[in-house]
Amino acid sequence: MDFTFSSEHVALRRMIREFAETEVAPLAAEIDREGRVPFETLKKLGEIGLLGVCFPQKYGGMGAGETGYCILMEELARVCTSTSTNVGAHIGIGAMSIYLDGTEEQKQKYLVPLARGEKFAAFVLTEADAGSDAAAIRTRAVREGDSWIIDGTKTFNTNGSFADIVTVLAVTDPTLGARGGITAFIVESNMPGFKVGTHENKMGIRGSSTAELIFDGVRVSHENVLGKVGEGFVSFMKTLDLGRLTLGAAGLGGAQAALDWSIRWAKTRKQFGQELAHKQSVQWMIANMAMEIEALRSLVYRVAWMVDTGQPFTQLAAMVKLYGSEVGSRAIDTALQIHGGLGYSRDFPIERGFRDARISEIFEGTNEIQRIVIASNIFRQHGVRIRP
Amino acid sequence: MRVIVILGRVLDPSGIVVKGKAGRIFVNREEYVLQPADRCALEAALRIKDAALAGLRPSQDVEVVALPRGPLPDDDVLRQALATGADRAVYLVGQVANLPYTDDAAAVRVLAAAVERLGGADLILAGATTMDTGQGQLGPRLAEALGWPQVVGAWHVAAADGRVQAVCQSSPLLVGEEGGGTSYVTVEADLPAVVTVLPGVLKLRYPDGARLINVYRGVGEVAEGLEQWDVADLVDMESLKPLLERRGQDFPPERERGVRIDGTPEEMARVVADALRQHVGR
Repeated sequence: MDFTFSSEHVALRRMIREFAETEVAPLAAEIDREGRVPFETLKKLGEIGLLGVCFPQKYGGMGAGETGYCILMEELARVCTSTSTNVGAHIGIGAMSIYLDGTEEQKQKYLVPLARGEKFAAFVLTEADAGSDAAAIRTRAVREGDSWIIDGTKTFNTNGSFADIVTVLAVTDPTLGARGGITAFIVESNMPGFKVGTHENKMGIRGSSTAELIFDGVRVSHENVLGKVGEGFVSFMKTLDLGRLTLGAAGLGGAQAALDWSIRWAKTRKQFGQELAHKQSVQWMIANMAMEIEALRSLVYRVAWMVDTGQPFTQLAAMVKLYGSEVGSRAIDTALQIHGGLGYSRDFPIERGFRDARISEIFEGTNEIQRIVIASNIFRQHGVRIRP
Repeated sequence: MRVIVILGRVLDPSGIVVKGKAGRIFVNREEYVLQPADRCALEAALRIKDAALAGLRPSQDVEVVALPRGPLPDDDVLRQALATGADRAVYLVGQVANLPYTDDAAAVRVLAAAVERLGGADLILAGATTMDTGQGQLGPRLAEALGWPQVVGAWHVAAADGRVQAVCQSSPLLVGEEGGGTSYVTVEADLPAVVTVLPGVLKLRYPDGARLINVYRGVGEVAEGLEQWDVADLVDMESLKPLLERRGQDFPPERERGVRIDGTPEEMARVVADALRQHVGR
């Protein structure tokens, strides 16, 4: 057993931390306040190869694997959850779905510019009546000769408003349902009939864009089918498994930031003639945060290692997402309590962190869904099939 | 054209606490970063390469080679240089282990021999000062050892057509200035030359992601740029006896607490003016 990071991952973290502190952190409060996507940061991330961190070099990536990607998400989320959300939607689910199931031609055509950061991706699944129940989507794709015509409306699409390339799930055979009746497609945003609808006015991650997307008779070539016809649902779930791991990494970064702020505050804030660090109540809070963060860190990087070494990881990825989001939420809640009134003020980053953390318990599969996934896997090993 | 850049490392200052009263430096996190001035020297070297690549002077092919400032326990700073865009780097092993108090006189003997073994160079860039020991001798000593002209304390450096141009902050004496005000002069020298670069002006670019992974993983063309030479093959080890002897350490006095001034602006100004007068009179 060896728990040390390789020298390339140590060097990668140093590079990313410097980037995060120099380029990302100074904008975090501003993009939250203005509710704008930091395109200048995304452009710089692309230029130095970080938007292709986990993809092989032959597809324009960096070749740092899932471990490298988790390092990126952890370090970005440590300073700005909006930026890590934009990046996660681009790499972790948008581009990742093409990497996992695309043909060699599709990878050359779509993945290469995405990995280089020349184009942006979104992963388009949720509908008004199909959230956790993803198989209940109604967006239709009908075959016409060598093309497919896609009709439907998708909601809560991260990066949807500016993505150049989206992967979208549509019903191709209503008689078959999730297994056999749903297909994934690659759609370019400049195709006729592709429209951006309303933008969500969100509680947190306000520096990320969440938009409605309307597919009004979008015609795509049969070459743009991602994976096999009828296997889109399975393909999308596979992508989400990986996405869950990196959400846990982002939760780790957010929790670490909450702990760092709390330590700094406990060292300087005096009450009753002593710094807060000398109060046992605060010591216990800090100790609990640090313990949960270390447990999460071990889980995140162990699962990243399992992905990189080709081991099954679905069950643990659900645990990483669930635990990461809850540790993140608890850590920022504790940090707010340690900071008192100042933590509640918009002049301090704790308040932003508090709003940003909450979404992690919801998006990319609610924590309730994660618990169902985990329990189903456990019961299956004991011969019991859980029906949704 | 060959540009050599000399790089060293320093304990990350954010990981240490200096306690003068206790007479100790507490190392909370032992991590090393590139010397800040050497970072700027590396960026200066890469910009000279960029200018050549941009076709401004297509006849010149610039090769950037990184050498270590003194004895190093690992080749990390050299890999950083390769990841950031240097073409070659030479890790010198077997130097006298007198870290972290490097002896520039000894280091220069090794460097001069390394430059010779590389087949010479057109320009050598190094940081003007080190952050830990505050030394600025390496560049000037190296220039003297090689018999080359030197420019000390440059902010920007350009090189072409057998000459180097360095932008330096002018000394008020040099241009006959009265009082404050900063002006800059461009100093030129014939190549080969040694130029030392000040910290803080040139922002070192980020490494290229794929290069970084390859150079640390030890694969591909970039990693092949890392060579390892034994110091014993370059110089007589007996000649490397350090001139510098460390006899102890001292700390600057603790900063005194400030005083809070209250009152109307006029009253506060008077208090400040009195304090200044007293200070000047001392």
